[in-house]
Amino acid sequence: MKKDLKEIRKVENDIYELLKTVMDPEIEIDIINLGLVYNILYDGDRNVRIEMTLSTPACPLGDAITDNVKNTIKKKYPDFEVEVDVVFDPPWDASMISEEGRIKLGM
Amino acid sequence: MAKNLHTDNAPDISTVKPHFLFAAIGLVAVGILLVFSTGYFSDTYYEHHLLAITHAAVLGWLMMLIFGSLYQLIPVIFDTALYSEKLAKFTFWITAISIVFLVYTFWIGDYTVLLPYAATSMYLSLFFFIFNIMLSYKNARLKNFKSLFILAAVFWLLMTETEALLTVFNFKYQFFKATHLVHLHNHAIMGLIGFFIMMIFGVGTTLIPMFLISHKLNESLLKSSFVFLNFGLTGLMITKYFIDNQYLTIAFWLFVIVGAAYYFAYIYDSYKHRMKKTLDVGMKYTMLSLVFIIAPVTISMALILIPDGLAYAETIILLFGMSMIFGVFTTIALGQTYKTLPFIIWLEKYQKLVGKYHTPLPRELYNEKVAGLQFYLYMLFLALMLTGLILQSGIVIQIATIMFLLVTLLYNYNVWLMFFHDSKKYINERDKEILTNK
Repeated sequence: MKKDLKEIRKVENDIYELLKTVMDPEIEIDIINLGLVYNILYDGDRNVRIEMTLSTPACPLGDAITDNVKNTIKKKYPDFEVEVDVVFDPPWDASMISEEGRIKLGM
Repeated sequence: MAKNLHTDNAPDISTVKPHFLFAAIGLVAVGILLVFSTGYFSDTYYEHHLLAITHAAVLGWLMMLIFGSLYQLIPVIFDTALYSEKLAKFTFWITAISIVFLVYTFWIGDYTVLLPYAATSMYLSLFFFIFNIMLSYKNARLKNFKSLFILAAVFWLLMTETEALLTVFNFKYQFFKATHLVHLHNHAIMGLIGFFIMMIFGVGTTLIPMFLISHKLNESLLKSSFVFLNFGLTGLMITKYFIDNQYLTIAFWLFVIVGAAYYFAYIYDSYKHRMKKTLDVGMKYTMLSLVFIIAPVTISMALILIPDGLAYAETIILLFGMSMIFGVFTTIALGQTYKTLPFIIWLEKYQKLVGKYHTPLPRELYNEKVAGLQFYLYMLFLALMLTGLILQSGIVIQIATIMFLLVTLLYNYNVWLMFFHDSKKYINERDKEILTNK
């Protein structure tokens, strides 16, 4: 049964918090504070779509990061189908890093 | 869906691993040979023990590391898979045997009986490598100045090895008009600048901005660097082979230096715009190596400008070679090992486990204190070695070589620590820790 809008936002917020544990292994900052996650969409049933980017299109750790996103969500929501959509438009840049991320990077 | 990311094209770890292991052992071998060769440094730079050490360093250590790293980075630089992993594995074995054979031949100074066989075997193995890279480039989806650097590097490698093979056969059949020394110089210049500099610059243009996290860099600097370097080097070789004019040599050498300066400007741009302000040990080595390019550039100008027949010239040539091989190439190789190998091992051991268990960061796979100590000892080695060579002091050189051996042992400690990392043990220990803390 589909959830109402309030519950959908609650799950999306929970996933947002969960993704704060997914680290970029090179930069060593989580993908939320790095600004790599563009969108979290939950359909209210069992489907979640994460729209995200990478710090560079040539990132050799791309698959490891997207696998981490899927596994982290499925660990808490084992019945969910998680789709990770990697996009490079808009391209990621420093302005997307949060204040916490900037402090960690020494910027 | 997250498809067609670069790890899809990454080679199997069994293709890459042996190169890193051989290189690590090769580095210790270079360290041991150096400790027992201090006396030869007062001899000519083409003394056969020194040639053995040089080839052990450039082939057994640096070349093997470049082979392994490049196989791993082809998907990133060319955006395609390596043409043939089977060929890469076969090339590893034939290269490994050829290097041991070649170094042994130089060490015993057998230039007429064994050397032609060793050189032919080496030539074949490098040819297989070049063939694999060229066919990978043919399938490349990314064709830009970064990948052109790699292509130029393998072209100059072919030239370097062809020159070497002809020189070796000339010992027996004597068909060259010029002396062996002229051909040795050309072989060295093509190898050091054509292959190593071009390869390091090519790989560096992708890796350095990626590790520093700097975007929107001035790519025209790379284009200028590529054009100046290759024009200068081609002109230099034509002058050396056909004209032999000192003014042209200086002019073309200046083109090479301007090419290096453009590259510097590109890296400086990346450094200035970096988001990651703190440099880890791998990037410290990398930056030190690039700054150190000033040493061979200065030495080379002195070499061109000093009068012919000066007794000190041979020491300056030795200084040039040492500053290139150890000051620039070994420094960046030591650093980039800490930037690539932990990720290669981490992807092998943890890619399937991330998000399911608590996993370490790639840098936690080696001992950072050991890596830091290794860095400072290495800087001490460089300073002592160059001082010892300039002052022609046997005792200073001896202390420097012992420092270097220590560096090689510390480096090996960390490399083997990564290779023997037990992911199951790590996860079990972390789980226990978490339960205890709860």
